[in-house]
This record gives sequence, C-alpha cells and structure tokens, in this order.
Amino acid sequence: MSTLDTQTRTAATPEHIAAFDHPVGKIARETPGGALGWRGTLLHIHIAPAASFEMEELTEAQCVAGRGIVGDRYYEGTGSYSKRPDVREVTLIEQEALDALARNDPPLQEGPITLLPVDHRRNLTVKGVPLNHLVGRRFRVGEVVFRGGRLNFPCKYLEELLGLPVFLPLYNRSGLNAGIESGGVIRPGDTIELLD
Amino acid sequence: MSARLIMKLRVAEARFITDDTLLLRLVHPSRPQLPAWTAGAHVDLVLPDGKVRQYSLCGDPAERGSYTIAVKREEAGRGGSAWIQESLVEGALAHVSAPRNNFALAETASHHLLVAGGIGVTPILAMARSLAAAGASFRVHYCARSAPTAPLLEELRDICGERLSCWFSEDGRRFTAAAIEAPRDEEHLYACGPLGLIDDLTAHALSLGWSPEQIHAEKFQALRDEDFIPEDFEVELSSTGQRLHVPASSTLLAVLQAHGVPMRTSCETGICGSCICDYSAGDVIHRDAVLQLAERSHRVVPCVSRARGTLTLAL
Repeated sequence: MSTLDTQTRTAATPEHIAAFDHPVGKIARETPGGALGWRGTLLHIHIAPAASFEMEELTEAQCVAGRGIVGDRYYEGTGSYSKRPDVREVTLIEQEALDALARNDPPLQEGPITLLPVDHRRNLTVKGVPLNHLVGRRFRVGEVVFRGGRLNFPCKYLEELLGLPVFLPLYNRSGLNAGIESGGVIRPGDTIELLD
Repeated sequence: MSARLIMKLRVAEARFITDDTLLLRLVHPSRPQLPAWTAGAHVDLVLPDGKVRQYSLCGDPAERGSYTIAVKREEAGRGGSAWIQESLVEGALAHVSAPRNNFALAETASHHLLVAGGIGVTPILAMARSLAAAGASFRVHYCARSAPTAPLLEELRDICGERLSCWFSEDGRRFTAAAIEAPRDEEHLYACGPLGLIDDLTAHALSLGWSPEQIHAEKFQALRDEDFIPEDFEVELSSTGQRLHVPASSTLLAVLQAHGVPMRTSCETGICGSCICDYSAGDVIHRDAVLQLAERSHRVVPCVSRARGTLTLAL
C-alpha cells in the first residue's frame, strides 16, 4: 500500500464549481472578444496525489468531466484548496510565461527564475495558447473539451514550497482554471483549439 | 511555518550501522540537487498511513545530491521505525519532505558545546561537521551504552578528534549533567537525545547561569505527562477579535481549524513545528517538544499546548 493510495482513499469526492457558473466565467461567457485563429500544443501533463506532494509527469492522462484528472489532488479532494469549492478541475499555464520568467522579463525580482514544468503545480503546460483569453470560452485539448472558468492566481504557498520568489512575476500570467465538459484521454503533443 | 514540498525519493543505500540502526541515503530519481539545508535540520518521512516521522539529517549540508538519515528501531514505538527498516530497502521509494531546521547553530556563538545521547547523535554529527568545516570552536559529548551500540561513532571521531568525549555506561563512564560547566561568553549549548538527558542538562545549565537563549534542545518525543488533565480555556484572535472556546475534550488546533483558520499541520503530536503560531498575551501550558526555551514566551504549538484563562493569538 502506498502513501498515495491511503491519502486518496480517505478523501471525500471534491466539490467543484462548474466553469461557467463561476461569477467571472459567467460574465466572460456573455462578453464577446478574445484572440481567434490560434492553434496551440499541450507540452506537459503533471499531477500530484495530495497537497505539498511533488508533481509527477504523465505521458497520458484520463480527464473526467466535472471532476478533474484521474490521480490529481483536485480530482481526489486532497488539494490545499479542496475544501473551498472553486473551478479547480484542471489548471493550465503558458510555456511563454515560464520563458518570460527565465529571461527576467519584466525585471520584478533579483534575476531570472527557472520555473520548471514539474514545479509550477499547474496540471497542463501549453504553448501557443492565449490562456488569458479563454475565461468563458470552450476549447479542446485533443479529444477533451474544457471550459475556462477564471484566471489562475499565484499563491504564496507556491513561493514557500519552492523557495522561489514567483508570486509577483506570475501575476496576470499565472494561467487558467478550467472545468472539463466532456472527458477522455489527453497526451503531450495534443492540439489545442478554441471551440467557442 | 512555511509549507514544504514532499518528494518521492529513492533509497540509494540502506545499511545497518549498529544492530538496531539503519542508515539510509536518499536521492531524487530525476533531480540532481535536493533542497538545501543547514546542520540541525530534519526531514519528515511520510508513512503509508499518512502519519509522519521526523529524522535529522546526518550527512554533509554541502553535498546537495542526497539526504542521509539514521533510523533506530524503536520496539516500544508507534511502528514507524519498524516499517521503515523492513520496507525501505535499496531501490524503494519513500515520501520525504524538504528539510526544516528547528535546531540551528547560533551564528553569534563563539563556542559551541554539543551533547548527543544515542541516536540523538544524528543532528549533532551534522553540526560538528559544519563547525569543523567553518573552523569554529566546539566540543562534543557523546553518551551511549557502549561503543558498538553507538551509531555514527567513527564518523564523529574522524570529524572531532580530540574535541570528542565519549561516555559509555557499560565502561562505567556514565554522563551526568555535572560535566557541564558555567558558560563562557557567547557559548551555546545544544543537546539531542532522550527526554531525561535533556531535562537534566537544561535544569543544570540554567542553575549554572546559562540563559534560555544559549540552550538549544531537540527531542523527538513530545512531553508525555500522564497526570496532565486538560481544562477548558478561551482563545482570542488578535486580527479579528473573534473569541473561541476550547473545551477540555478538544485541542486548540482543532478549534482553530473548525472555525476556518487555515493551519498547517503535520505530526499533531508537538514535535514537528508545522502549526506553531505567535501569541501576544496569555498563560500558556507548553506541552510540545519543539520550541526552544526562549521561544516559549511568545510562541505556542496549538496541536498539543493549552492555556489557562484567555490566550490571545497573533493570528
């Protein structure tokens, strides 16, 4: 029996707020706009079994509508914020944001910060996807349909865990919290496209 | 207390260094460097039931590729050490937290006096290594039953040379607190070992004029007073003025959590320090084994400690 098994078994099924029921997701759904004509790629998938546990990379992941990625702390209800219902089924971040941190752009801290995909604690690292435009939008990653619910927000907890000053530099490019409309399997390399 | 990452580390080396003590060297399967630490730090090892055990790092802080811990089999313990010794063979994976230091060397000290009792040698070894590397003035007392049962004795001898005094009771040399003398200026005393040793040493040192700030102790067993009878008390949160009642049947930590105060927790037995918070007023009954004497005037460990009357927390 692994630690993971026990921790997940004892946790309650998590409560999530559906993406378009979230107050900001609801407003954004009714507000036209946003980038069109882009086509992005899924680079990495990471999950962690419980709060504070290091993220682990997956070569494929099972996404379950209304719940999350199988094995992840927000699927299991063992996350740091699981007791506060919100849009947390899946979190995404742009590789472009990590690239900006790595070149210290803008120079908000001492110098460049290397924030690896295994360390940022969002589930999906994506490239070529304007995540800040996807609140209130439906989009697909491979065969799975997602709904953008709200912008992700950096937390001090991440700074403490990593010992890296990432709070300020991640502000406004911390990614997206999304819900899963229809589930399935996703893999790195999958195409990401806007639906509506 | 800050959050700590829990990593899945691989056992690179597992060997018995005495009949009952297993030395484990842990590495990360994919990262060449582990989070940094300083001498005196410990890691939490997460057991299959989700409970945690604390182990001091006894390796070299300058070596960033692995963590070394020594686990003594505690037959009368809670089962954690037995599970570790049976399950953590070479190649096995273990959930281990990033290090935390509740037992750090005092930077201002001009001389360091280290006392280790049995398996309490683990942080003392790391401290001696750091002090020797820095060219600092220090002395070590190592108390154990006998040389063959004393873990890490050879390593400690290599580092300390003449600066080590061994006290082996089977040789008729039993350590007593009387071996400690009055403090020199800016001398600091560090002790890690059984509760009895630490209590005797602390009482003796205080009577000789050591100040609480000069005494540092680490005990991996919370205070257990069989006669302790918990009583009700009140707690006030200074930020909001909210007043909460802590019944005798509950802990301060549980009451805070039940009222939505976010608290970090880990061992919930008063040894890890995860839930430590500051207080500004009140008569605290300290029942933890983590706070240093000098901290007890303003910090409290809510998982085990209680208060009389009203306690005002700086939360």
